[in-house]
Amino acid sequence: MKISGSNVVDQPVDKVWDALLDPRVLVATIPGCERLEETGQHQYAMTVTAGVAAIKGTYSGSCSLSDLREREGLVMKLQGAGAPGTVDATVDVRFSEPAPGQTEISYEADAVVGGMVGGVGQRMLSSVSKRMAGEFFSNVGSAISAPPGVAASAEVAASASPSGAQVFTAPAKAGGISSQDDFIKGIVVGAGLVLLGVVAGSVFGRRR
Amino acid sequence: MTTKLMGQKVQRVEDQRFLRGKGRYVDDVAVGTDVLHAAVLRSPHAHARIVDIDVSDVLDLEGVHAVWTYDDLTGPMAEPLPLLIPHPALTHGRTQYALARDEVNYMGEAIAFVVADDRYVAEDAVGRIRVDYELLPPVVGIPAARSAERLVHEDVPGNVGARMEQNVGDAKAAIQQAPHQLALDLTIERSSCQPMEGRGTVARWDPDQDRLQAWTSTQTSTGVRAAIAVKLELDLGQVDVITPDVGGGFGVKINHPWPEELLVPLAARTLGRTVKYTEDRREHFISTAHERGQVQHIEVGFDDDGRLLGLDVEFWHDHGAYTPYGLIVPIITSTQLLGPYKPQSYRVVFESLYTNTVMVTPYRGAGRPQGCFAMERTMDAIAAYLGKDRTAVRAINFIQPDEFPYDHGLVFQDGRELEYDSGDYPASLEKIKALVGWDEFPAFQEEMAAQGRRVGIGLACYVEGTGVGPYEGAHVHIETSGKVKVATGLTTQGQGHATVFAQLVADELGCAFEDVEVVTGDTRRMAYAVGTFASRAAVMSGSAIHLAAKRAREKVLKIAADALEVDEKDLQIENGVVSVKGAPETSIDLGTISVLSNPLRYAFDEASKAATQFQVGDPGKPPVPEDEEPGLEGKDFYSPERATFASGIHAVIVETDPETAEIKILKYAVVHDCGNLINPMIVEGQIHGGVAQGVGGALYERMAYDESGQLLNASFMDFLIPYVTEVPDGIDIDHLETPSPLNPLGIKGAGEAGVIPSAAVFAAAIEDAEGLDHPGLAITAMPISPSELFALRAQHPPEESA
Repeated sequence: MKISGSNVVDQPVDKVWDALLDPRVLVATIPGCERLEETGQHQYAMTVTAGVAAIKGTYSGSCSLSDLREREGLVMKLQGAGAPGTVDATVDVRFSEPAPGQTEISYEADAVVGGMVGGVGQRMLSSVSKRMAGEFFSNVGSAISAPPGVAASAEVAASASPSGAQVFTAPAKAGGISSQDDFIKGIVVGAGLVLLGVVAGSVFGRRR
Repeated sequence: MTTKLMGQKVQRVEDQRFLRGKGRYVDDVAVGTDVLHAAVLRSPHAHARIVDIDVSDVLDLEGVHAVWTYDDLTGPMAEPLPLLIPHPALTHGRTQYALARDEVNYMGEAIAFVVADDRYVAEDAVGRIRVDYELLPPVVGIPAARSAERLVHEDVPGNVGARMEQNVGDAKAAIQQAPHQLALDLTIERSSCQPMEGRGTVARWDPDQDRLQAWTSTQTSTGVRAAIAVKLELDLGQVDVITPDVGGGFGVKINHPWPEELLVPLAARTLGRTVKYTEDRREHFISTAHERGQVQHIEVGFDDDGRLLGLDVEFWHDHGAYTPYGLIVPIITSTQLLGPYKPQSYRVVFESLYTNTVMVTPYRGAGRPQGCFAMERTMDAIAAYLGKDRTAVRAINFIQPDEFPYDHGLVFQDGRELEYDSGDYPASLEKIKALVGWDEFPAFQEEMAAQGRRVGIGLACYVEGTGVGPYEGAHVHIETSGKVKVATGLTTQGQGHATVFAQLVADELGCAFEDVEVVTGDTRRMAYAVGTFASRAAVMSGSAIHLAAKRAREKVLKIAADALEVDEKDLQIENGVVSVKGAPETSIDLGTISVLSNPLRYAFDEASKAATQFQVGDPGKPPVPEDEEPGLEGKDFYSPERATFASGIHAVIVETDPETAEIKILKYAVVHDCGNLINPMIVEGQIHGGVAQGVGGALYERMAYDESGQLLNASFMDFLIPYVTEVPDGIDIDHLETPSPLNPLGIKGAGEAGVIPSAAVFAAAIEDAEGLDHPGLAITAMPISPSELFALRAQHPPEESA
């Protein structure tokens, strides 16, 4: 299924670009992302907790960024699997500057959502993924505008995994995470929750 | 003389239980803490190679007793599941393994099986199994299967499981030479049975008896029994299969054995514990079976009256990922398509195709709705082309009442010739015209049009081969209490068998209806049986029960004549008492005859005293005469030469909203001929249920697969089943009774008929409603939703704006 969409962030393109390539920002901004491990350059293993309607669960998967064209675009490949289902997506992400100081991120995804979440949760996927994409971009925006260090280093715990790779753990959210919120957060979105939106939208779009 | 119960609207004896929540289904069996529960890991992908399955996270989970993958299966369990109905044309039949081996071919295919203390733990364990897949490109839908750019099974070229052709005369030549020709391309989508109760199996191994007992929600307990015995390498005599109340089957439960029907017994034997598996609704959507999906191309040649000179039908049948039930569905489509008509020549060819979707096995109607759609759409097209009344074109092609038995020259689904036994199609047509108000409709349509309302009428005819063999049997046992215990081997899914079979026994035996108790689907009570499908229970088991009761009656009369010292011919049986005609005071009741039928040495109560050795018997004769057996029983089997053919016509009047294209049913009428009626109320119930299901299939239900083989509407949130609000308020029914010459009761099956003409009749009526405003609008694909109708309208704009 193909899905596309776009979001505008009130930050200049170069900052958004840098932020999206920074695993510390990603782990803090991807809804439901609990853990992100760097397994290679622009390659991550991650754990995301997400829910669609009554179907929630923890997905583990991978995200890799390729075809990097600085400040213009990249290709994100995502794979996730958990008890509620699977997501496999290739997302073409493009950056543009609709107005000075703003970045428009548009994406085109080809995604397959399998298992229970695809068959039972699909009617919810669209709204959930849109909300998640919006949340993600707004998180990225705030992470960039926050005082240096706050998002990127102070709250994100970085450690070395047994393999020596960098592991990033998401900070505890203030006031805890309400279950409802948590629920709605994240689907398979790995780093690219973007893709998530995609997925959802696509499923919905396919119904005739 | 006692009133005959045959033909009476006898209240269903089952309903007291069902309506009070006292039905007893598989999940009601074995309730307790010592029962283990199973859950199944199913493929999330439509087509993938299994690279690795890692169950290490499950092994030390508390409460888990077993976790199995294909590698844990041995012997026959490691072989593919049975291909139940082989056919020479099924050159590339494939069946799945109980647990997937190396590859999965549909989303929902079973991969791993977990047994745990309860279902929660079992499901959690399933969630911890990690499977590494290598995704393969899926084949979804008939066009993708036909193009064969990708293959479902590497060793099945072109995705073609079977190609079959039947010919009567030279249809192609006849079409060429005919005065008129037409061609139609039609599509019908997938749906599924969706019984309220899904699949379920409970098994218990008894180590003291070295014996397995299984309860399963099936349409064939003897079939499941045989499959379990073979797969678990047990003797048939070590396996009992019991089918308690079943919450609907509608065809899907005739397929067997499901992986769980084998894995649960295997687990029970391996673990020495009772094990239960109950399917949930999502599993029913993705791992049971679907039906209906076909693409059809029809060419027809006809004369000025609409007489069919040549009919050439090609169709492509989507059978999903595997073919456990052989070619039954497409064979039925290809033969039953002919309905009540007699084309002068006929050619039919089909390809049964693999796709990476849930497999296809019979769903109520079993290929007939598709065949009826093809034929009836053709009839409507011919009528439109010639400008003739649709009933006139049909009437001219009918097989006439004096032409029976009518041999079509084709081979039917049971391997026998397609020979209709009886029927009166012109009489049915007259009845339906009167019932629906066919001749008055044009005036009504005009009147409505004047008010800006669109109404349309359609009708569709069908013939249904019912009561196919090979056989059914029955056992009738009269207890010393006078109660009559009846057993037949096929199963019951709510049809009211306990009522109609008791009617037959009461009639034949002369006992009280209330004294008859019927047991079905229990291999301990009747080990030889086939199953409940193809509208065959009343015909097959009904006939067998009638014959068995007759045997019991013969024995009753023999013993009674002996006891009363009169001639058998002078006896009558009424209300469970045998008496001498004209001298009713000389009598003996059935219970006493039962006592006398079993010569005793020992008395254990007052009644049995009468049968002990110093009380009865002629000292000069053996106590049990030669060629006789002790006990008052009758057993018999019924095995007909071929199926008996029921028929009917449905008509519907619909209204379509000029703005929203919403489709509303104004009137639904059915004329139905299933031979002699045993219980008209039950037949009408079957028709009501069938029509309701048909409305769903015509207007709402479809399987929404995406191109990656994901079923997107695998729940009742998105798969639309009609509520009572969508089903016509009243269904007008008229019966015609042309008895079947093939069985002693003259009956024909009635279970599926209600659903057969639905797609055809709604397509016709909607097309009729739209025709005035949207000339040329033809309905060629079903089901149809309001948005699809809306889109069709846009393609056929009203003439003034064209």
